[in-house]
Amino acid sequence: MRIGRLWLVIACICLSIALSGCAPTYPKENFKEHVVRLCKKEYKLDVKVETIGKTIAIYVPLTNLLDFAFTLTQDAGEKINNVILSVSRVALSSDSNYEFYCVIAHDVKIPEIQIVIIKSVDDVKRYMLGDISRGEYSKRMLIDMKVSPQAQKERSIREAFERMSVDRKWQEGVMQDFFRSDPTTLGDIGYWGGRFYIKDVSMPEFLAEEIASRVRFVFRDDKKLDEAAMLRSSKGSYVVSGDSDRSIKIEIAAESRNTGSFTSEELSDKIFASVLAVSYEVVHGYKFGDFDYLTITNLSDGRSSKVTKEDLEKYKPKKTKIEDVMVFDTF
Amino acid sequence: MPQKFKIFLMNLKLQRTKILIITAVLALVMLAIWGMMSLESFYRNITLAQMPLQLIMVALNALIFVYMYMNLFKSSWGSSKKARVKTEQVNVKWSDVIGLDGAKTEAWEVVQLIKDRAKVKQIGGKIIKGLLMLGPPGCGKTYLAKAIATEAGIPFLSMAASEFVEMFVGVGASRVRQLFKKAQDLADGYGGCIVFIDELDAIGRNRTFSQFGGQETNSTQNQLLVQIDGLQEKEANVIVIGATNAPEDSLDPAMLRPGRFDRKLYIDKPNLDEREKTFEYYFSKVKYDKASIDIKRLARKAVYKTPADIENIVKESALIAARDNKEAVEFRHVSEAIERIDMGLKHRRNLVPKEKEQTAWHEAGHVVVLYLLHPTEDVFKASIIGRREALGVVHHSPREEWFTRSKESLLADIKTSLAGYVTEKIKFGTTSTGVESDFRNAMGIAHSMVWKWGMNSVGMVGDYTIYGTTGGRSSIDVFQLSESVKEKLNSDTQNILQKCLKDVEDLMKKEWKITEHIALELLKKEELEYDEIDAIFKDYGKLQTQA
Repeated sequence: MRIGRLWLVIACICLSIALSGCAPTYPKENFKEHVVRLCKKEYKLDVKVETIGKTIAIYVPLTNLLDFAFTLTQDAGEKINNVILSVSRVALSSDSNYEFYCVIAHDVKIPEIQIVIIKSVDDVKRYMLGDISRGEYSKRMLIDMKVSPQAQKERSIREAFERMSVDRKWQEGVMQDFFRSDPTTLGDIGYWGGRFYIKDVSMPEFLAEEIASRVRFVFRDDKKLDEAAMLRSSKGSYVVSGDSDRSIKIEIAAESRNTGSFTSEELSDKIFASVLAVSYEVVHGYKFGDFDYLTITNLSDGRSSKVTKEDLEKYKPKKTKIEDVMVFDTF
Repeated sequence: MPQKFKIFLMNLKLQRTKILIITAVLALVMLAIWGMMSLESFYRNITLAQMPLQLIMVALNALIFVYMYMNLFKSSWGSSKKARVKTEQVNVKWSDVIGLDGAKTEAWEVVQLIKDRAKVKQIGGKIIKGLLMLGPPGCGKTYLAKAIATEAGIPFLSMAASEFVEMFVGVGASRVRQLFKKAQDLADGYGGCIVFIDELDAIGRNRTFSQFGGQETNSTQNQLLVQIDGLQEKEANVIVIGATNAPEDSLDPAMLRPGRFDRKLYIDKPNLDEREKTFEYYFSKVKYDKASIDIKRLARKAVYKTPADIENIVKESALIAARDNKEAVEFRHVSEAIERIDMGLKHRRNLVPKEKEQTAWHEAGHVVVLYLLHPTEDVFKASIIGRREALGVVHHSPREEWFTRSKESLLADIKTSLAGYVTEKIKFGTTSTGVESDFRNAMGIAHSMVWKWGMNSVGMVGDYTIYGTTGGRSSIDVFQLSESVKEKLNSDTQNILQKCLKDVEDLMKKEWKITEHIALELLKKEELEYDEIDAIFKDYGKLQTQA
């Protein structure tokens, strides 16, 4: 009996201690501070954090972001990874409901060039739990290295001001009032002039961009396709027109290299089939159903196709013929 | 040190395993909690989420291991089951030990030594460390050991020696160490402790030094010897009582040397007085019909019965009486109980009339010779209801304890055995295979009389069975015995049998009417009690032969 009581007391102590440790490590009230503190404490990095809606944006100023060949340096890559790791840790062990985060890194010497990485918090969680593979995880990440859209815009405006001989003291005011606004697409996300240009990332537009990003991977990995065609661009967007017309729009520009391996029709079919397979993979992988149809357009040959959500659900890669699910059109 | 503090220290020592386990578990739990708290909540949740599955896997692994260990290897755990019995739980008082007067006197001395240890030391006496109880099974060795513990008022640790023996070498030795450690701790707290090892022969037999096994028993026995020696060194008030029904010389000499089991207590089967007391004791616990049950007579009938046999007879009688819807045990219940215990349950076979008749005459022959010629045995019951392999049986019991056998008694045994054969031959002019066990018995006795006990008529003196391996411990070559000696001895064996056969034939012819009467009664009633048999003989004016 005594021993039984002793065990009961031990169990109560353990339970109370264990339960007291069940609170989130990073409460949402101090989310930004936690990210900043963690990056500073663990990696000696000074970052800035901003949130909008369910999206977190982290600005990472770096030196030597790119080398002379215009590729990411190893040091910069490690630092970006460390920031991603820190923000992932905070996002996962927090009671906040952030769904996406964007890491914006740029070289303090060449601030116009920036790298933007967008990730879904849920993907990170699934990767940590072993629900998705490392390869799949990296495909689910949007990485974009480009000249800051805001920087480009401001340079053009300033050139125009110069040509128009607008007084310098007015230039800043006009710029602030008319040309510095929050971005409307994921491609416009960035950091310029000490200000975040961010938007609340939504799942549909993230997925549309992810399909476009994956199409680029397909062209890179499929040697036959890469030899036969050259992908000039790949863009994805989520369009809502009217009250209930929701579609995922994928626009690619893939030109034939005229190698003779495929006829132009065969090549076009192969490109569409590849994009369709990627779209199916993404929609199926995220169990996404908030759309009515998918449109794929090849800007190079003016061919376009529309696939309904139901047809996309029925589609089986490598088994279903694309004629059975796609209706082609030419513009 | 005050007694309470001593007991507190003793409890600490006894509970040290539990305390260690609890401390270790607490430390591990605290470390685990500390570790969990240092994790970020996401990783902590992952760990917690995995925990149920891990626990199930651990439990499953443990179950598989336990199943394999206990079922496939037929083993148990290294630590033995709880051996300690509190004195008040033993609950066998000195007065409960009935009979065993001689053994009780010796045991009382041991009790006094345990109780007054200081006095013995003062006068320079040697403390007894080991007491070995020897004797046939069921004579009250364990009972007496418990009574010693109750009387001495100290803890009593009881284990059967077979519990020490396990598949793995070293487990037994480990259990011996544990037992003595516990005894030592209890002795520290309570001022003494009794370690009782029942069936000591399981680990105490002569050690074998063979590469083909026996190491486990050897190591267990060695450990026991070391522990008993250790008691001497530690001056601990721990008494080891061993009990065995194996012969003393089958035990390892090392166990019996002074300083170990140096005092031996022979506990033999009870004599007439002791049997009477034992019957009285057990009958006092049940309701019995005093008019029909004569305890003195029962005690006389129960020669060579152990106290356990007597207890069994009384318990079985009570069961039979209950089944018979009687409120008290009657003599017939006791008679049936003895019969069941001695001869086994009745096993009715459908005999053809001829075979049944042959069996009745066969058994009647046994009864007549036993009654009229046997100097030491009484007929208890005659029956032609099958039991075990036999179709019929004449159950007899000795009138008194005889520790030796006379020539006359042995010859009466032979004649009794041959009586069935003779009767069949006279009555039916032929014989059956029913004589097989009778002949084996008669031949065995005759052979031993001539070869072993010098009861031959050819003047050969000595035990000739030591030649060869018949005795099992022979050291003399069988070939040293000449053929003529063997011939003489064998011839004399046959002479004895022939002479007995002649005597039985003469008796049968003379008392044929009695034989016929008994055979017909048996055919009619199937069973005859002693009183009925006695009445038949008295009708013919015959009296039972006395020694």
